[in-house]
Parts: sequence; structure tokens; C-alpha cells
Amino acid sequence: MKSRRISAVALVVTASLAVAACGSSSSSSGGGSPSGASSTSVSPATINGAGSTLAAPIYQQWASSLKSQGLTVNYNPVGSGAGVADLAGATVDFAGSDPALKPADTAKLKGPVIQLPVAFGAITVSYNLPGVKSGLKLDGPTVADIFLGKITSWDNLAIKALNPGISLPSTAITVVHRSDSSGTTSGFTTYLSDVSPTWKAQVGKGKDVKWPVGTGAAKNSGVAAAVKQTPGAVGYVEQAYALENNFTYAAVKNSAGTYVLPSIQNTSAAANGITVPPDLGISTINSPNAGAYPIVSQTFLDAYKDPCKDGGASQSVAKGIKSFLSYAIGAGQQTLGAGGNQLPYAPLPSSLQSKDNAALAGMTCNGATL
Amino acid sequence: MEAGASTVTGGRSLIEPSPAARLPDQVLRWGLLGLAGAILVLIAYFFIRLIGQSGTALDHFGLSFVFGNNWDVSRDIYHGAPLVVGTLITSAIALLIGVPVAVATAIYLTELCPRRLRQPLSMLVDLLAAVPSVVYGLWGVFVLAPKLVPAEKWFAKTFSFIPFIGGGASSVTPTNYFIAGLILAIMILPIVSAIAREVIATVPADNKEAALALGATRWEMIRMAVLPYARPGITGGAMLGLGRALGETIAVVVVIGDAPAIGHHLFNQGYTLASVIANEFGEATGIHRSALFAAGLVLFVLTLIVNIIARGFVARGHRARVPRR
Amino acid sequence: MSAAERIQALAPVSGRRRYTDTMMRGLLLAATIVALIPLVLVIYYLIKRGVGSWGGSFFTSDPNGNFFGNPGGIRSALLGSLEIVGLATLIAIPIGVGVALYLTEYGKQSLFANVVRYFVDVMTGVPSIVFGLFIFIVLVLAHVGGNFTAWKGSVALSLLMLPIVVRSAEVVLLLVPSELREAALALGAPRWRVVFRVVLPTALPGLVTGSLLAIARGMGETAPLLFTTAGAFGLTFSLSQQMNALPLQIYNDILSPRNVVVDRAWGAALALVTLVLILNVVARVASQRSRMA
Repeated sequence: MKSRRISAVALVVTASLAVAACGSSSSSSGGGSPSGASSTSVSPATINGAGSTLAAPIYQQWASSLKSQGLTVNYNPVGSGAGVADLAGATVDFAGSDPALKPADTAKLKGPVIQLPVAFGAITVSYNLPGVKSGLKLDGPTVADIFLGKITSWDNLAIKALNPGISLPSTAITVVHRSDSSGTTSGFTTYLSDVSPTWKAQVGKGKDVKWPVGTGAAKNSGVAAAVKQTPGAVGYVEQAYALENNFTYAAVKNSAGTYVLPSIQNTSAAANGITVPPDLGISTINSPNAGAYPIVSQTFLDAYKDPCKDGGASQSVAKGIKSFLSYAIGAGQQTLGAGGNQLPYAPLPSSLQSKDNAALAGMTCNGATL
Repeated sequence: MEAGASTVTGGRSLIEPSPAARLPDQVLRWGLLGLAGAILVLIAYFFIRLIGQSGTALDHFGLSFVFGNNWDVSRDIYHGAPLVVGTLITSAIALLIGVPVAVATAIYLTELCPRRLRQPLSMLVDLLAAVPSVVYGLWGVFVLAPKLVPAEKWFAKTFSFIPFIGGGASSVTPTNYFIAGLILAIMILPIVSAIAREVIATVPADNKEAALALGATRWEMIRMAVLPYARPGITGGAMLGLGRALGETIAVVVVIGDAPAIGHHLFNQGYTLASVIANEFGEATGIHRSALFAAGLVLFVLTLIVNIIARGFVARGHRARVPRR
Repeated sequence: MSAAERIQALAPVSGRRRYTDTMMRGLLLAATIVALIPLVLVIYYLIKRGVGSWGGSFFTSDPNGNFFGNPGGIRSALLGSLEIVGLATLIAIPIGVGVALYLTEYGKQSLFANVVRYFVDVMTGVPSIVFGLFIFIVLVLAHVGGNFTAWKGSVALSLLMLPIVVRSAEVVLLLVPSELREAALALGAPRWRVVFRVVLPTALPGLVTGSLLAIARGMGETAPLLFTTAGAFGLTFSLSQQMNALPLQIYNDILSPRNVVVDRAWGAALALVTLVLILNVVARVASQRSRMA
């Protein structure tokens, strides 16, 4: 037990030194350089948020960085829908949501809302096939057929046709899906609805759908664990989980016809060239960009345009919200990317960043600009 | 010192307390009564709120909320038969596995165990109740479920001719009704065992010695004298265990697979009333939220019924035990 | 030789009956061992997976949410649990003992008292998550004194702990010999004096035991806190803010993509189980002692 304790302490000390070393060197990759209003000073306050689990690691890291400056951010990863519901009930100051707000959502909110896309995460099609390495080629209709239960074994002709050079075992396919409501499910089923009319008609898209086949697991970690434990399993897992656990995942055919792996670079590419509606409610699923991975989920931070009036926040809390959002689309972007000490998400392209800044400038407290 | 009317006590009897002294007594009495009444008011308010929130869903779906088989969140259809069936199946498994083991443990600890070991072993069995439900759930899903899959596959294959229990190896998923029921059995074991132990300990020594005097072996004595006498009390204890099994949330939600359909086999995934609330409440709005409250209401009513039955059994056993003089 | 043994010496038992007897005794022993296996397995697994995290600053640092490097310890969760359950105890114990006092001293077997008893029993069977939802609707959504706050979690937990306190207190109060009460009353003591000076002090050890059991239950519950306290990473002592708690920390950590954070979840689970087991053992040993005294 004592030697374990010593090695644990050693690990902690080494890790702290490593973080200190990494933190002091600046790194930038991907995205655009922070432009516009990224204030270096932060308003001290305590603000509470809830929502997307895809983005939870990002917000928790940002919260950790901001704590030393006096801004305490508590984020509860309860899922995109729950976060928006909490915002509608004004029990949180901001919500994290993967899908953009629909009219049904905005109707329940207490007032106009600022919706800021802040990052992008790829949804991998991860599989557990002993002997078959990462990069199995799959196209949209094939993925849909697997999840519809039409393709039941890995040596099915459709999969074979896409992967002529690989010898596929005759293992049965076990589909793993989310059993809880999830923005990740929303992104994945939006993609499937786009590429397969059968899927669109039979199942549809949403945070919680009636899966035709497969076993359910709770949260990304549940799906990840289930895929890991079952040979022949296939499931949709966020990039961060897939990379952390060294999963094998498929190269999916995008709308331009190329088979693309879910790397950070290909995730960033999905954000380029998409149409941006006036409320910034973008969708990066099936992006038209040639180098883009087709199943990329955007994630938003939502807050009331006037948190004091609609969200019951005090002036200092409203300032804190603005500080946090400002950091999120400014200095915080540098923490995202493919670098060794960056979180494995794609940051905002500069075009989107300037739009975000413009929208954030409109935040008021009881009518007065913050 | 004379009793009776006296000028010292102002015309009162010595043993009668003065009106001033009665005040704290009255305060205490009515204060405590108020507290007890507050509990009833709280439960009534809770019940009313629950009914109020479930009203929309129950109005909309009526009886098919309980008997219809289609829980579809994306289409806002809430027919909860899979939930009710799942709750009943897992609770039944919990009772089938948990009660016999609990009663056997109770018998062993009260009748057969060496005296010195009785206290420590009883305490160990009671400690099963001390493990938080989230820990049971995590251990169940990370350790127990994967380890049991081969055994479950063998079982399903060997007994595939029996409906529901069998079904072939392909029907087995790591998270399923069986493991949920098993975890529940572990969780209700301490309650049922503790009550059974109390009840068995009250079996009059006369009954036991009479059986032994007739030449019965130890086991026969237990079978003839102890069990029949203790049966009502034990049944009451089993019902209380059932109440716990019906309502257990966190441990079940991680091991049952949360599939909103009626699983056809023992080793299929399923759903329970308590789990659906835990999973879906966070973001439910409108009729979805109302449906979840309705699920809570159904659960509450089930608990009420089970408790009435349990009290009936325990009272009956009590009446049988205490002879009228 | 006892009577039973003497009689058994007279009438020899047939081989088949002796066989059944031995078989059944073996079976009952086996059942007891089977009952204890899960406890052993769970604790063993927790130690195996959790004790590795127990080094260094595990108990002295807060979880920090860093994606790289040291994810921090469980200090805010531990202290938060103690604070939230502490407040819940302050609510549940006086009310619970008060109700039990009413049932034993005044209500006895009246219809009203029996109805109260029945509903207290029903409260034990209500799923813990339903208490959390009730407080969510009544306090959180209504924005009573803030949104998600620690004290609302305490209120939800106290609802859970109340029936345990009432039931165990009633049992203990009934054990106070009526002679003591009657002697005090005969000496002219008013009712309230009897309760506070005679009954409660006599029952105190048992009341403490019951309270410890209720506290142990409260510390282990997750569901009531999910919709009332919502969790936080940083250390805060303010009950009107979101606060961390061990079950919440475990629930969130177990979902993390980082393996070191999942390990922290197991370390926290081990800490929680250790705390709860200690409370339980202390409570039961104390109750044995007070019964023997």
C-alpha cells in the first residue's frame, strides 16, 4: 500500500509539473486567432450552467482556468435537452446544447436568447472487430442499414464492397445505442435521416428515438464500455471518448464522396462553408465542405439576452455570464485543437467567431448594455 | 400537611397541577400532535401535487397509460405497459431470489448459528443495507454483468424451450431484467432477513421444545414449529422488501438497459417506472413531464397497496401470537 | 444433557431423516454464506479499484475539471456531503423524535396515531428520486430562495431520513420502562418534565443509534440530490449555492472519458462506503451496548 501511495504522489507531482510546463507555453492550432473582444479581465461571480455532455469536458476545463480569476462556473452535464429546460425554468444562468434551439424550445424560454456556437465534436462510428484496424470504410446508407438491422454481420456484401482489401470476419453485428436522451443521438440520427430515406421514415431524428435494433447503454461512457466489451459491436461515440480509449472507428463517406476519418482537422473543415442563419443556429451535420467529416456535431452556449430581466440574475451574475461567454469564444478557443495539450474538439473558424462576438455584444442587463 | 382545600395552594388539591404549570404540557402535547399532523399534511400535499402534475398525461392517455405498450418519447406517446411490466418482473425476480435466501439466513442465524458468531454475522448481513445504491449499480454494471454473460448465455441456450426464461444465446444482453432483479435481491435481503430474524426469535420456546420432545430433528423442528408460526410475519417482511424493490432507482437504471419495450426474455433489456423517471425527467417538458409524474403516481399507489397488505400480514401474525387472556 | 438431547437419545432417528436434517442445515449455512458474498465482493472490488486513488492530495484538493494532468481530489465532495447531510440531520432528527414521542406518549393506539404510523411506513417505500422531484417542483422551480441550492438537497434528504428516525425512535421510546414514567408522574412532575428529564435521557443511546443509521442512509443517496443541489466542483460552504456531494461526484466522474477521472470515481465510492460502513458499525455496536446495560 505504501509503495502505491508513493507512486501516486509521484504521479501527481509529475503531472502537476507537466501541466505547469504546458500551461506556460502558448500553443495554437486550427481555428482562427482570437479576434475582437476577448477581455483579459473577468468579472468575479458564481454562475451555474447545465446541458450537453459532449461539451462538458470543455466547460469544465474552462471553469478550472477561470477559477483563479475569480469567476466560478458550475456546469452540470445533464444533457442538452435538460440544460435548455433548466434555462427555460431560469434555474441556470446558461445552457449547453448540441442541437440548435428549435421554435418549440424558444417558445418555452422566458425571453430572447443569445445562441453561440462554441466548438465542434465529431461523432465517431466506433467498432470492436478483432483484427480489423481503424479506418474501415463505410458510407451513409450502409451505416443506416446497420443501425436499422438490415445488415447483420460484418462480412455482409455491402460492407465488403466498400472495403475490398480487408478480410472481414463473419461476426454478428451488435448495435449499441444510447438509452438516455442525448444531443449526440440527435446529431447521429440527423445524419442518418439525411443519408437514408428509410431511416427518416421509420425512425426519424431526435435526442431520443425508438431504435429498431440494438442494445442500449447510458451515456457516451456506457456505449464506449459496451463496444469495448462486445466483439462485433458498433456504436456511435464522441471523439473525445474514442480518442481517449483508443477505439477503432470508421472512415465515413462525406457529401463530396470522400471517405474521411474523424480527425480534428476534418472536424474543423465541417464548420467551413456552411450557411449561418441569423440566429446562429448552424448545423454541421453532412457539411458540404470537401474535406469535412460528415458526422460533426456543433455545440452551443445559450443564455438570455437580458439575464437580469428574464433570468432573474443580478448585475454581477449577468456580468459573469458575459465574461464566461466572452472567454468561451475568445481566449478559451485556444484550448481546443489537435495539439498535445489541447482538448480534442475543433475550435471556431474566424468568420463564426466574429459573428459570435457581434451577438454577444447585444447582452444587456435590464436594458442597459453590460 | 393536609390534603384537600387549603389556603396555601389557593383552594386546589395539592396533587392537582396549577393552571400555569399545565401550559408547557399543553404546548408539548399540541406541538407534538402538530408535528405528527404535519407529516400527514405533507404526504397529502405530496399526493395532491403528484396527482396534479400527472393530470394532463392521465387525461390524455387514460387507461392505456398503464396497459398500452408503446413508450415513444420522440412521438410523445406514453403508454407505460413496458414500465409496469418491467417493474413487476424485476421485483418478482428480487423476491424469488432474495426472500428464500433472507429467510434461510435468518433461520440459520437464530436457530443454528454458534452463539458467539451470532452478533457479528447478523451485523454483517445488516451491513448489506449500508452500501449505497449507486455503488451497487456501478458494481453491478462494471463487474457483475459482464461476468454473468457466459453463464446467462449457457442458461438461455440450455433452457431455450422454456418460454421467457429461455430464448437462445442471442437473446442475452449484458444489462437485462435478470441482473436488475439480482441486484434488487441483494438490496432487499437485509430488510427481509432482519424482520425474519425478529419474528423467528419470538417463536415461543414451548412450541420448539414440544417438537423436539416428539423426537423431531433440528430441521424438522424448524419446519413444524418455527416456520408456520413465523410465516405471517415473514410474509409481512417480504412485502416490505417488495416495497423497496419497486422503488429502487439508481441501482436499477444502470443495469437494466433502459429499453422502453417489453423484453420477451429474462435476459433482455427492459425498463422500470423508477428508472424512466431518473433517465428522462431532466429534459422532459409538457406532456412528457406529466407522463413521468404519472409513472411516479403509479409507483406511489403500488407502494401504498403493498404496505397495506404487509401491515395486514404482520398484524395477523401478531394477533395469532398474543393470546387473549 | 438437555431435554431434547435426552429424548433424542431414546428414539433413534432414521437414516433418511438424519440425512435430511444434515442436508438442510448445510443448505441454511450455505445460504448465509451466499448472502454475504456480495458484500465481500463489492468491498473487495472497491478496494481494488479505489484505493489506488487514495494517495497524495485525494482528500485535500477539490476536483478541478482539468482535461490534462491531475484531475484533483474529492475534498469538496466530502465536505459537501457532510454539510448537506448535517443540515438534513438537524431537520429530520428533532421532527422525527417529536413525532415518535407523540406516537408513544400521547397517540398510542388511537386511529390518528395508527394512520400516522402507516403513512410513515409508506414514506419508506417511496422511491428516493420522487422526493427529489417533489422538492424540485415545490422549491427549485418556484425559485424559493435561489435555484439549485444545497439546503434544498438537505430538505429532500430529510424527507428520506424522517421515516427511519421515526420508526427507530418509536421502538426505543417504547422500551423505556413505564415504571420510570409513572414514578416521575407520581412525584408530581408535569408531563413535559417527564418527557425531557426522564424519557429522552433514558432513550438517548437508542435515539443516537437510530440517528446514525438515518445519517448513513442519507449520505449514500444520489437521486434526491440530482434535481435539488446539482453539484459543483469547487469548495463552498454556502448552503444557498450549488454544492458538491460524494454520490454526485461519483455519478458524474463515472461518465468521464478520462480513465484517471473514472478511477477517482471508484476512490470516492470507496470513501463513501467506508464512511457509511463506519457509521453503521458504530450505530449497531452502540445499540448492543445500550441494550446490554
